[in-house]
Amino acid sequence: MTKLDDLLAYEVVEGLTEGQFTAEDYVTTIIKRIEKVEPKVHSFITLDTDGALSSAKIIDKKIKEKEDIGQLAGVTVGIKDNISTRGIRTTCASKILENYFPTYDATVIKSLKENGAILLGKLNLDEFGMGSTTEYSRYQPTRNPWNLDYVPGGSSGGSGAAVAAGECTVALGSDTGGSIRCPSSFCSVTGLKPTYGRVSRYGLISYANSLEQIGPICRSIRDLVMMLNLISGKDALDNTSVPSTPISIPNKLNKLNIATVRELITGSDEEVAKSIYSASEKFKEIGCSCEEVSINNLHYALPSYYTLASAEASSNLARYDNIRYGFDYPIGEYKWDTYFSNVRENFGEEVKRRILIGSYVLSSGYYGKYYLKARKLRSLLRLELLELFKKYDLLIGPTMPILPFKFGEKIDDPIKMYLVDINTVIANLAGIPAISLPVGFSNGLPIGLQIMAAPFEEQKLIDASYELEKVINIPRRPNSI
Amino acid sequence: MISREDLEHLAQISRINLTENELDKFPKQLEKTIKYIDILQQLATDDSVSLDLQEVEFEELRKDEIRMSDEKQLAKNITEDGFLRGPKMK
Repeated sequence: MTKLDDLLAYEVVEGLTEGQFTAEDYVTTIIKRIEKVEPKVHSFITLDTDGALSSAKIIDKKIKEKEDIGQLAGVTVGIKDNISTRGIRTTCASKILENYFPTYDATVIKSLKENGAILLGKLNLDEFGMGSTTEYSRYQPTRNPWNLDYVPGGSSGGSGAAVAAGECTVALGSDTGGSIRCPSSFCSVTGLKPTYGRVSRYGLISYANSLEQIGPICRSIRDLVMMLNLISGKDALDNTSVPSTPISIPNKLNKLNIATVRELITGSDEEVAKSIYSASEKFKEIGCSCEEVSINNLHYALPSYYTLASAEASSNLARYDNIRYGFDYPIGEYKWDTYFSNVRENFGEEVKRRILIGSYVLSSGYYGKYYLKARKLRSLLRLELLELFKKYDLLIGPTMPILPFKFGEKIDDPIKMYLVDINTVIANLAGIPAISLPVGFSNGLPIGLQIMAAPFEEQKLIDASYELEKVINIPRRPNSI
Repeated sequence: MISREDLEHLAQISRINLTENELDKFPKQLEKTIKYIDILQQLATDDSVSLDLQEVEFEELRKDEIRMSDEKQLAKNITEDGFLRGPKMK
């Protein structure tokens, strides 16, 4: 049998149900794995091993008494630290929230718990999800398990690294402009940003709420489908959520019309482009057609994204006012304004930059020039993509235009950092689903393929990804740790 | 062009104190970012482009029901003596 800490989520559920091991055995093994690799990788901000062990014991008791244990029973889950967990500190990797304990569970957390999932703790991110490396975390950066000198991607870098390093079976991330797909690509795991509205955002601490979705990061498509189905659906507490049909694992692949996006390939590193071309060849071998297309409005996607995300951030982060969240300052002679401004000095530099840009683009005189223009681009891009999806089932390209890079390489130049998101922001602007799956390595560094589909066509993404996963042989576990 | 005064104004309306270091380096960084998003000016749009707003029907809104929150948990987030503290009034 595979080593316990190598098991995929569906194998954990099978093993438990068949009595091959207990939930306590499994959770203990994962905790040992965390103790071994965490000092090198730094995926977690907060660990709840006691809570995990007591949940495991409850599952073992239920198995003994032949009670229903749920579809994710015993599966250890790491949660990005911007998703609210009742009674477990939720920091958003920010100093502003370093002592914040949510009084309720996010809807996705409620669903996981009801299905027997075991919460291990809270995973690192760039402060409030703003970044692509975890270097903007106010605690410490997470390291890429494939090479500890390199960034794991972001903002859900803790989630990507923890899954790759075997510190949890699966993880939840959130994706505002690529924050699930970027670390999935850099850490060689599979991550999905669902269609806007498929998954409830209730309890996800907002950064740019018109763009973001919670989604799973896993080591296999089967695990991903299991997670996605459990967190999807209409939630009365999120008005933008809608009912959706469950996804299934395909029996056989129907012939799909696939198109590679020319601009995404030409803007990429040579090694990355090579891997993507070889993946598209594989699609042809398994019976899909593969053409090349252009997206005309692509040029404007990234500036539009940073305009909208910053505008929404500046208003979402206004809630950190030192009254409901903040620090217990001694009663001083604070004037009205300084009471707010003083505590907000504790935001990190990137968060401050985005709030300031947000205030700028929303200012009188600039609103029409930037914000409104960005909104219009968003509509045009969505219309253009919907038109393409009439002809093609899927659009593919590299998730990231470059390979993972070293710490410190881009941190002093915000624009350089923003540019790495150029391929991923498209899906957030258009509200469509997109997946990143591992397709190769170059010099020991992972490469991810991004597949996009029309709104609510996650089934097509899964059909293609499941077949590709079968024919692409990728090492599942880094040897370096 | 973003001057130090512009930056101070933005910081003031955003209610954020900036450190000396930030006051020094942010004008150049923000200017670069704004120059980058200025690409949007090349995009030809007119009033015919809709904003793709998602409308929610009144009937679809959830009922305004009182749900209790966990007071013990809530208290963890406020001051040691159990009060919320606000800015001092003149």
